[in-house]
Amino acid sequence: MAARVTRREFLERTTLGGVAAAALVAGARPRHASAAAPAYPDWIAASTKPAKRGGTLTRASAWDPPVIDPRLTQSVGTFQFVGLTSNRLVRYGFADEVTSVTDLGLKGDLAESWTVSPDHRVWTFKLRQGVKWHNLPPVNGREFVAADVKYCFEQYAKEGVQSFTFQEIEATETPDNYTVRVHLKTPNVFFPHALAEPVAVMFPREVMEQDGDLKKRLIGTGPYIMKEHTRKVRVVLQRNPDYWDKGRPYVDEYIILSTPDAATRLAAFRTGQADFIWVASPSEVEVLRKTNPNAVVQAFHNSLAPFGVALAQDRPPFNDVRVRRAMCMAIDRQKMVDTVFEGHGIIGWGVPYLYYQDTPPTAKDFGPWWQYKPADAKKLLTEAGHGKGFETTLFYYEYFPQMTSEVQLVQQDLKRNLNIDVKITKLDYTTYYGRYVENKWDGMSWGFQSGHAIGVDERTYQYMHSGSPKNFFRVNDPVIDDLTTKLRRTPDRAEQRMLTKKIVDREYDQVLRMWMPYDNGFLVFQPHMRNAAAPALRRSDGYGSPTLVRTWLDK
Amino acid sequence: MYKYVLRRVLLAVPVLVLSSLIVFGLMRVMPGDALTALMAESGNVGEKELQKLRKDLGLDLPYYQQYLVWVWQMVSFNPGDSIFTNEPIPVALRKAIPVTLELATLAMILGLVIAIPIGVLSATHQDRLSDYVGRVVAVSGLSMPEFWLGTLVITFAAIWFHWMPPIGYVSFWESPWKNLQQFLVPAAILGFRLSAATMRMTRSTVLEVLREDYVRTAWAKGLAGKIVVYKHALKNALIPVVTIVGGQLGVLLAGTVVVETIFALPGMGRLTVEAILYRDYPVVQTNVMLVAGTLVTLNLLVDMTYAWLDPRIRYQ
Repeated sequence: MAARVTRREFLERTTLGGVAAAALVAGARPRHASAAAPAYPDWIAASTKPAKRGGTLTRASAWDPPVIDPRLTQSVGTFQFVGLTSNRLVRYGFADEVTSVTDLGLKGDLAESWTVSPDHRVWTFKLRQGVKWHNLPPVNGREFVAADVKYCFEQYAKEGVQSFTFQEIEATETPDNYTVRVHLKTPNVFFPHALAEPVAVMFPREVMEQDGDLKKRLIGTGPYIMKEHTRKVRVVLQRNPDYWDKGRPYVDEYIILSTPDAATRLAAFRTGQADFIWVASPSEVEVLRKTNPNAVVQAFHNSLAPFGVALAQDRPPFNDVRVRRAMCMAIDRQKMVDTVFEGHGIIGWGVPYLYYQDTPPTAKDFGPWWQYKPADAKKLLTEAGHGKGFETTLFYYEYFPQMTSEVQLVQQDLKRNLNIDVKITKLDYTTYYGRYVENKWDGMSWGFQSGHAIGVDERTYQYMHSGSPKNFFRVNDPVIDDLTTKLRRTPDRAEQRMLTKKIVDREYDQVLRMWMPYDNGFLVFQPHMRNAAAPALRRSDGYGSPTLVRTWLDK
Repeated sequence: MYKYVLRRVLLAVPVLVLSSLIVFGLMRVMPGDALTALMAESGNVGEKELQKLRKDLGLDLPYYQQYLVWVWQMVSFNPGDSIFTNEPIPVALRKAIPVTLELATLAMILGLVIAIPIGVLSATHQDRLSDYVGRVVAVSGLSMPEFWLGTLVITFAAIWFHWMPPIGYVSFWESPWKNLQQFLVPAAILGFRLSAATMRMTRSTVLEVLREDYVRTAWAKGLAGKIVVYKHALKNALIPVVTIVGGQLGVLLAGTVVVETIFALPGMGRLTVEAILYRDYPVVQTNVMLVAGTLVTLNLLVDMTYAWLDPRIRYQ
């Protein structure tokens, strides 16, 4: 006869089991990583060894391209590889060219050189000769010429993401096959920077004319040819043997595997199925290095934060600068950096600091309204007539898990310090985006600005000028309008820095955009990867992917 | 028998109509539409351009007209194109269905292979160690959701064995070995969960049948234990088990959504979730109707199996 378990025995055993399990869990709890996390370099210098040809580079990617037509999207899912199949006229430096992570000098890509008229309205680009489109129909490796540039600029202006930028062009001339002369409607000293943005790639006229769009075929002049794109599976890029930069690229094939789950991406790196990976927190790096002690880590440092609290500043109570300042003073950003981002984050700002100072700003640099001073905040809000607080709303989309923690901390701080009741609504991406850009919402939103752009004009004039369609934070300040317009007409670098500083000072003083902390993250590479570090402002797994043309595998 | 089948087929029609109304209605109730999602990706689409797109896609029509257009597309087997990717839906389905079908079939097979022998063993060894072990396994299967189990398996396999199923789907015909490596682990996870309820049901029905008079008679005739259990008891015990397996197909298909995401398999689950996020109405509606149709058909098959296993059912 089998032994039966009585009710009493069962209770005793489960209680003991529960205690044991609790002890086990407590023992296994990871310690707070930031306390002992080793410091990782923020720059990995280029290898001094001669580059080796061959091999396959693989990455498990969170992003799947929504469409491959570069006119219609600015999604990182698309631009994680389009910069490798296609070229721009100018570009930022690659990992083996720049001196440091802050090197923002422009280099020629399809253009060898460029000059500007004294009034900064006419830009002349001299194109590289002998550049060929990929050897695929319908272009079949024909030469890339000035007419192609003119055609692309016209198409970009006609529709899509970049129409605002390219509609600034009054006319484009092509005096010969290798010269492009662009006439702008208004002076803009930063026009080449707009062309260096990762999204401004050249595409062939023949494909547009045959297909009506670029959704089916991605053909360019770039170092890689798209061999396969299977949605939700993989993108395979194959070395372009006719690439104009002879000898490059070094890696034969780059495979991007669509891997939506974060744990799976980590496992892919651990097992060698992926050659590099981006992780958010120091504790993740630490855990990863336990299984992959030879992995090479680059501590990425963001020079801007794409997210902040956007206030409906065109209507009460947020049209009162005292209310905005009080709210800004009532939020403890440093606490967010320390807790949510384990100390490896920035306190948040919108214009890359590299354009106005050499070192990342500290809380002090933001001025009085950005210091955490709950008592002063309360006093200021009382002066504004809201001593008893008020009720408002905040909607957001969770771009990354830490964002929810940030939203909740803002809610707690505003309630505790100012008695402002914030009703939070978490939305899915489509609903959030539709509501946010519609610009008719009340209260607050966890606002964003495009992640792809790094140019100072994009980050100032295009995102803050009251007439810009990209001004999602609803900035409507005549001083800012004046300063941003002046900046794009100022060629002198020192003066540019001074003007940019004035713009950010004005922004902080008026609390026009209430920036929130953002993570820095880490790029982790397998030990055989060379020259893949993320250069200025852009990660090499995302918008900064063109730098992978200089990457090689040391194995 | 044919009357029984006909009755069941006719009952399926209102189920499908109701499903179509629910999915159509729910998609329209959700805020935003595919064009908002398109705009989110594009960054900048003018209102004029949006209106033109809405008109081109028929999104400006009254809801009843949109519904009728869609129903006509469905019955004429021409569900149209994805609003978001422009890909014809049949093409997307041709890629996704084999993945989910393979995953679900393997999961079902593994689930039954685990559940039935352990269920029988538990019943025939009631209150012994093997019974306790079987029951613990069953309860574990019920308690552990796929997303947790999947993450755990993938993480610890990578840490301990430096291995994980290869990512980047490969079809069975392209490379059978690689394909099986990709599918066996996720199928086992789905199957394990599926096996839990089946195992419990098998155990209790076998226990019940073993106490029936005819089984006692079989024992009294001196038949071997295996023959009594597997030939006389199991067939009758399987009737409720078949029912529960049919009912679990819905759970299985829901589970594929999570498992496909974790193991990066491009099946119906991921296709549908992405389409919902992008408000890709035609894709969501087609997928849901396809799943509803599949479930209705499978339940019909279950009912027919039921009738085949127990002739009394069709005579009632």
